[in-house]
Amino acid sequence: MTTTLWDTNGGDIMKALSAERRAGGAVASGLAVTFVTVVDEKNIGDAERAATIAAQAHPCRLLMVIRRQIDTTDRLDAEVQVGGRLGPIEAVVMRMYGRLTLHSESVVLPLLAPDAPVVTWWHSPPPDRIATDALGVLAERRVTDCALAPDPMAALLGRAEDFAPGDTDLAWTRATPWRSLLASAFDASEATARSARVSAEEGNPTAALLAGWLAARLGVPAEVVTSSGPGITDVEIVLAGSDEEQTLRISRPDGRSATFSRSGQPDRELPLLRRDLGDLLAEELRRLEVDEVYGEALSQATGVGGLGERSPRRTHVWRDPALAEAAARTD
Amino acid sequence: MTSNPLRDPRDRRLPRIPDPCALVVFGATGDLARKKLIPAVYDLGNRGLLPPGFVLMGFARRDWGDGDFEQLARAAAKDHSRTEFRDDVWRRIADSVRFVPGSFDDDNAFDQLDATLVDLEKSHGIAGNAAFYLSIPPAAFPQVLKQLDRTRMADSAQRGGWRRVVVEKPFGHDLASSRELNTLVDSVFTPDDVFRIDHYLGKETVQNLLALRFANTLFEPVWNSNYVDSVQITMAEDVGIEGRAAFYDSAGAARDVLQNHLLQLLALTAMEEPVSFDSQSLRVEKHKVLWAISIPEDKAAFTVRGQYEQGWLAGERVRGYLDEEGIPPDSRTESYAAVRLGVETRRWAGIPFYLRTGKRLPRRVTEIAVVFKRAPHLPFAKTDTAELGHNQLVVRVQPDEGITLRFGSKVPGTAMEVREVSMDFLYGASFTESSPEAYERLLLDVLIGDRTLFPDHLEVEASWQVIDPLEAFWTTTTPEHYRAGEWGPRAADEMLAREGRTWRRP
Repeated sequence: MTTTLWDTNGGDIMKALSAERRAGGAVASGLAVTFVTVVDEKNIGDAERAATIAAQAHPCRLLMVIRRQIDTTDRLDAEVQVGGRLGPIEAVVMRMYGRLTLHSESVVLPLLAPDAPVVTWWHSPPPDRIATDALGVLAERRVTDCALAPDPMAALLGRAEDFAPGDTDLAWTRATPWRSLLASAFDASEATARSARVSAEEGNPTAALLAGWLAARLGVPAEVVTSSGPGITDVEIVLAGSDEEQTLRISRPDGRSATFSRSGQPDRELPLLRRDLGDLLAEELRRLEVDEVYGEALSQATGVGGLGERSPRRTHVWRDPALAEAAARTD
Repeated sequence: MTSNPLRDPRDRRLPRIPDPCALVVFGATGDLARKKLIPAVYDLGNRGLLPPGFVLMGFARRDWGDGDFEQLARAAAKDHSRTEFRDDVWRRIADSVRFVPGSFDDDNAFDQLDATLVDLEKSHGIAGNAAFYLSIPPAAFPQVLKQLDRTRMADSAQRGGWRRVVVEKPFGHDLASSRELNTLVDSVFTPDDVFRIDHYLGKETVQNLLALRFANTLFEPVWNSNYVDSVQITMAEDVGIEGRAAFYDSAGAARDVLQNHLLQLLALTAMEEPVSFDSQSLRVEKHKVLWAISIPEDKAAFTVRGQYEQGWLAGERVRGYLDEEGIPPDSRTESYAAVRLGVETRRWAGIPFYLRTGKRLPRRVTEIAVVFKRAPHLPFAKTDTAELGHNQLVVRVQPDEGITLRFGSKVPGTAMEVREVSMDFLYGASFTESSPEAYERLLLDVLIGDRTLFPDHLEVEASWQVIDPLEAFWTTTTPEHYRAGEWGPRAADEMLAREGRTWRRP
């Protein structure tokens, strides 16, 4: 089920993959997507678990790229699995060393499943410019996670400046259960909103996106205030009632269950769990078209305009850390 | 509804969630409720698809309070839910579980049910929306419906929200009785508020049949009598009658399965392209096909009934049908039925649709096999293509959900030799775990009010029009015998052999 290759090359990985597929019989036919994961060595356990959960819903070829230190001899180690511990998928885990880390697409490109869409996911701080990572340029859908950045709010701003349709961020995916509850609250209501407020722990990009979405959709001011967390703790919308002010409020102080309250109606309790990484990824893989609603929320949250008009295609920008270092030295 | 500013058709992440509502289950302690309905409610809740105001209400003849029913529901959800059981999810549902004790002839109990529903407006913000699930024997339908009528619980206009009713098969036992039932249900509820569940239509693969046919250009051009030789629709079960003796012996395989599941599968396979994918357009096309079904003139030659005898199945000895508990020893009820139907339209004229269903067959499998004609001319020597059969496209409804395409391919080597190979599309071994259970999907559709996947009374009546003449013919015949663990009686093989065909081994 698993073939491990030390100090290998792309051609041998291809051979090992097709040998595994043949040995595995009819396992994992009907590949819908190639899922490229860029991950740091310390996060690999997380990423594997998450990818396994996501793969149960979406048969895919998982290409996991781990970039190790650059200042060493070029080397490629790989592990090829079909239907093994990673679930019903084909997986290639690749560790790259030396200058090869800058050319990882040369290994990945031939391994992409023919004509299937490519999703690239960075389980690491998001790149400041996706165009500098060839693994992002070749993907139709690019998934980052601002929450992993040292400064998530700065990362979110960076995502907006660098945005191209087809980008999405797990900070946005985390907002879906909240958005779903809020939308259903409005299904049963004729009222219009006057203002909105999201409370969350400091520097929470999901809260910023949620507020951005509310502002964009409702056309009212939406602010984010700091609370002690965890995550988002409270969303309050003031409704324009006939005479007196009405509020609609969902609060979740413990990160597990929420209280839904609305003026004039009894409070209701509902589950509102923080989802794990695998569920978030499964949601990302479910729909591969451009998420315009995310673009609007991101634009509103960061004040960067014109996101929807940008080209969905990026051109690879070569950036060599060695040259950058050299330049820094001569300065 | 359309004015909700937070909803946007481009926003594909937001799921459809019903309005605040109550689900009232009659027969709440029964098998179906425990194994399917309550777990489906839990799964919906766990996936965040229940509205903030949702109440699960049980009605049954037990001297119980809310807490007792909550215990039962909790056990049911824990044992049978598809998704992981989490206590805090259940706690939210548990807060909204109600139980009304009573029998169906007890006016007080129904008045109490009505009062409980009215109270929900205050306690849960549910403005009159309720779905009544009749998980009870058909004989009890009239009584319950009359009670709902008497208390005016079925009257959406008066209750200020929607009131819907969900009915399970059997929808009657022949055309007359199903008409009677339909008239009764439709007189109490408006026809648009009646949801007839055929759980097969909630299965992903069945819905995928429509995607396969109408979203692709590849298959539709050959989906007609010019290219298709015959269609075989099979629903096989390895189990016996499983404690349903009384009902099963009075119905038989044709009424139990052929009338609903198999004819629905036939309709979806044979129908024309609907002008749009809404429930109305879909029904129009299904009606047309069901009305166009023709039954064989020579019923003795082209219908087969069977009854299993004792035999060995999956390594275990099993009893014969007549030895099953609760079956009279002289029963002439069939546990297997096969029939050759035609569809009298330009697309399908002359093409036989072979339908078969049975119990105690070697394995549980449901599939639709479209068998194509052989190429009119083969430029190979006869011996080269000796192993080439008919091209087939098989929709595997369950298990191993997916699609198989069988076609000829050259065997590697110096000689020209063509042999059949299969190309498989599998939804994936674990994929089925995350795709919703049929009941989960259908229950959600009921609460949302989407009727696309529910047959209406015209479909039910058209189906009985196919079954009734067969049943009438069969009253004078005795079923053939087959050993438990084989693919039906020999007469079924002879039925196809008569036209030079064979059953596909599913």
